[in-house]
Parts: sequence; structure tokens; C-alpha cells
Amino acid sequence: MNTVDKLKSCLEKIKKENKKLNIFLQIRDEKELLEEARKIDAKKNKGKLAGKIIAVKANICVKGLNISCASKTLENFKAPYDATVIRKIKNEDGLIIGIVNMDEFACGSSGETSAFGPCQNPSALGLIPGGSSSGSAASVAGGFVDLALGSDTGGSIRNPASHCNVVGVKPTYSSVSRYGLIDLSMSLDQIGPIAKNVSDAKILLNVIKGTDKCDSISQNNSTAIPHPPTQEKKNSINKKSLIIGMLDLSGLKVDNKIEKLISDKIEKSAKKYGWKTKKIKLNYIDLAIETYYPLVYVEFFSGTRKFDGRRYGKKIEQSAGPEVLRRIIGGSEITKAEYKGRYYYRALKVKKLIEMEFEKFFNGKDKVDAIVMPTVPRLPHKIGEKISVDEMYSYDALTIPANLAGNCCVSIPAGKLSFPPTRPGKGNNINSKKNIHLIPVGMQIMCDKFQDELMLDIAEKIEKV
Amino acid sequence: MDFLWHAVSDKEKEEIKRQAKQIMDSFSGKLEKVEKLIKENPLIEREKCEREEGENCSDNFSREIMFSNAPNKNDDFIIGEKKGW
Repeated sequence: MNTVDKLKSCLEKIKKENKKLNIFLQIRDEKELLEEARKIDAKKNKGKLAGKIIAVKANICVKGLNISCASKTLENFKAPYDATVIRKIKNEDGLIIGIVNMDEFACGSSGETSAFGPCQNPSALGLIPGGSSSGSAASVAGGFVDLALGSDTGGSIRNPASHCNVVGVKPTYSSVSRYGLIDLSMSLDQIGPIAKNVSDAKILLNVIKGTDKCDSISQNNSTAIPHPPTQEKKNSINKKSLIIGMLDLSGLKVDNKIEKLISDKIEKSAKKYGWKTKKIKLNYIDLAIETYYPLVYVEFFSGTRKFDGRRYGKKIEQSAGPEVLRRIIGGSEITKAEYKGRYYYRALKVKKLIEMEFEKFFNGKDKVDAIVMPTVPRLPHKIGEKISVDEMYSYDALTIPANLAGNCCVSIPAGKLSFPPTRPGKGNNINSKKNIHLIPVGMQIMCDKFQDELMLDIAEKIEKV
Repeated sequence: MDFLWHAVSDKEKEEIKRQAKQIMDSFSGKLEKVEKLIKENPLIEREKCEREEGENCSDNFSREIMFSNAPNKNDDFIIGEKKGW
């Protein structure tokens, strides 16, 4: 299908279903899009993303589009420049169709905190799509686009990918430029692709990765990700007997059914491909949430000082919702000199301990090639359902470690579980068959820093099982 | 609580402040159990504390769009209110 036909089909679907699903916050002008699509189709030498329709999370700058971060604070903000990843996508003929919903300023794990209303999960209507890249995952799951960009600070790409039954990649920290990303926590943020399958995710990651003079921490990924893989490379992966570490989940409050589903999937994959598996226990991983949030609160507070209502519309303290304020106010409190050592520095040190713990398994005598685990420890709740802050933060318990360690990690669909409502309430009749849904469950594959290629190869193989 | 967005009242802000402090105290308390280990290892000390100034990346900036985002401006300046800083 050429770009024009693909675009028309996407636009038709969006027009028909977006009102119900609330995925897109802005669609570009149709005439402009069609003109751009025709130009791509007319090219003799097309780029790697020709024919791909792409959605962008509302915190990544696309010149001239409304990058609101799903917040009233930036409700009328237009990006004055393209983020580096956007420039790279345009150079490879990817067609950006519009901007999608998210948790406000990426503060959330459910997609519910958007100031413009939560977006629906096309794979499980009525339940949260996950967050914070809720619209990115939902746009791919709903068949609105081929690919989407999200950002991942503590699981914000992988968590919604898991709930929406799609593939979400958090690349190695610093391997993809963040220039043009409105930051949540600069020492953890990473832009990455969301796609229907691993192969498509590889194509987009190949385009956006690489060093950038505008992001001072960016580094070149030392290993390229050839696509399609060469025969020589295919043979070398097939011959290699991989060692897969299965994370010991005891004490991490993971739903038993989710644990069993992932474990079965890995055993089947290992049998099919001749991989060895071994159970591994990582110290300090139970402290991931307690380490992550002090870092995020402080860095988010610091990063939001620019939203003072002078250059970008409204002052954040006067226009943001409760979760954003919780992080700003919390960050402000613990930034005070007398608290600095007790919260932020302590968290930084535990972050390093966790990073070293992963290094032990990727590079030490107990070496494994990859570590697998569920993406989310529990099944999603209903949109608007009351849960505690602790419960909300626990959604990211298994995704945060990859951010703290800086490793690459991907979430792929692992299967589905039946979902009888766990909390009786209005409309929740446990015994009613019509209330039982099949809910997607994702699994994570994590590899060492800059082993994104190996990680995606393993993911592609497991995807086929 | 539900996590759906809503405008926050001053009373709720006070509650959020109390809650945020409580969350951080609880988290920090849990990290205390590795305090001894942390103290023995200078894990996060940096050799180089300063980074070279990066290159100017404003080449594809639209001045027009940048100014259109500011609520108060004239032709050449974004205007900040007096005494509000």
C-alpha cells in the first residue's frame, strides 16, 4: 500500500473512532498530509520509513504542532522547532499524522491524569491503557497508525505497551537523543518506539538512535541494528546458545497468574531455540520504587521551573492536576538544603547499587545474555476506579529497574488472562460472564547497555512462539 | 482516590503537600536499610563535575512561533510582570 492510501485509511479510522477512544489530541491538516504523502510516493529513492504513518506523544516537539503534554499549562503551546528524533523521522520519509494523549507531563502510570480526559484502551475497553505514553500505545493497538513515539522514564513506554498488547522499546539510556523532549526526569528519560511487532520497532529505533550534538549525554550505539538482518547475522544468532535469566519475583507482589504465563512462555521459547534458563535473584530491586520517586520528584520540580507563565502560557502550579502538583510540591520540599542528603543523594546512591547489581549478571561470572520478567505486576484497573498512591506507583515496580540501571528493555505481548473484576462494586458482578474480559499481559526482555540489537533479536524469536 | 484530572483547590493543595512529604518520608525510610552499604562505598562521586558547553542548537527555531507562545510580548521582547518573580 502506498503512503497516500495508507494515510487515507488511517484518517478514516481516526475520524470514525477517535471521539470514542480519545487517543489523538491533534490531527494535522488533511490537505497538508495528503500533499506530503504524494511527495513521498513520488520519490525515486524512498527513505526507510516511507509508507509508515506515525503518531507522536504530546511531549516531543514537532514544529508548529500543539505540544501540550496533555496539560492546561501548555494548552496553546506550539513547538518552535523539531526534536532530533522528529527531524530524523522526516528525513527518512515517515509521515507524522498528529499528536497523541498521555498522562499530564508524563506523571502517571495509567493514562488517567491527562487534562483532556483519559484515552481508552482499544485492547480492553473500559480498563486503563497504561501510561504515561497512553495515546502512543493505544494509537498502535487501535490500528490508527503503524508506529508511535513515546518516552520512558520509569516504564512509560513498556507499561502501556503491555496493557494495550503492542511492542514498546526503552532503548539504552543516552542512545537516542532527547533534544526536543519536554523532560520529566532528565537522568532517566528516554525516547523510544511503539509498534505492532518487533520488526517494525527495529526499523524506527534504527532511524532515531545515534549521537546528537544537541543532547550532551547522547552516545553512539556501538552495535548497529541491521534491518533486515543479514544471512550471516541470522546464522550467528541461531547458533548461539543463549542464557536467559528469569528474575526471581518473590517479594515483588506479582500476580501469580501473570508470573505463570511469562514463565511458561519462556520455557516454551527456551525449548524451541535451545536456550538455557536460570533463575536469578537481584538484590535491592525491591527498593526500585523508593529509589525512583525521590529522583523524579526533585528532577521534575527542577525541570518545571521554566513553566512560569511568561514564555509558555500558564504557570504550572496554577493550572496542573493533582499528580503533577504532588510531584512538584514533593520535589520542592525535598530540594530544601536540610533534606537534600536524606532523599535525593540517598536515592542516587541506591540507583548506583541497582545498576551494579545488573552489571554483575550481564558481565560477571554468573553471566546471562538477557533477563526476562513480567512488564507489569498486576492486571489493569477500570478507568476512574479508586486506588491508593502506593497501588498506582506499584504498576512500575518491574519497569523502573531498567531506567535506574540505564539498560535497554523491551515489552512484548506474552498472552492474555481472563479478567473477572477483583473488587466488587457498582457494575462489577463477579459471576456475570459478560463482565469477563481477556486482558493482554506483556513480558520484558532486558539486556546490558548498548545490547539493543541482541535484545530485539531475542524478542523477535519469543514473539514467534 | 481516583487519578482522573481535576482542578485542584487550595485546600486540596495542602492535603497534597502533606501527602507528598509522607510518601517521601516513607520511601526514604525504606532506603535506610542499605545506608551502611552506601556509606562504605563512594558510589556517585564524579571525577569531572563540569561538562563542556554544548553547541548552539537553535538553527531550526521559529522565532515567530516562539513569540506566539508568550502571553505578554511586544515586537522584540517577552514581557514579565513586575514584582511577580
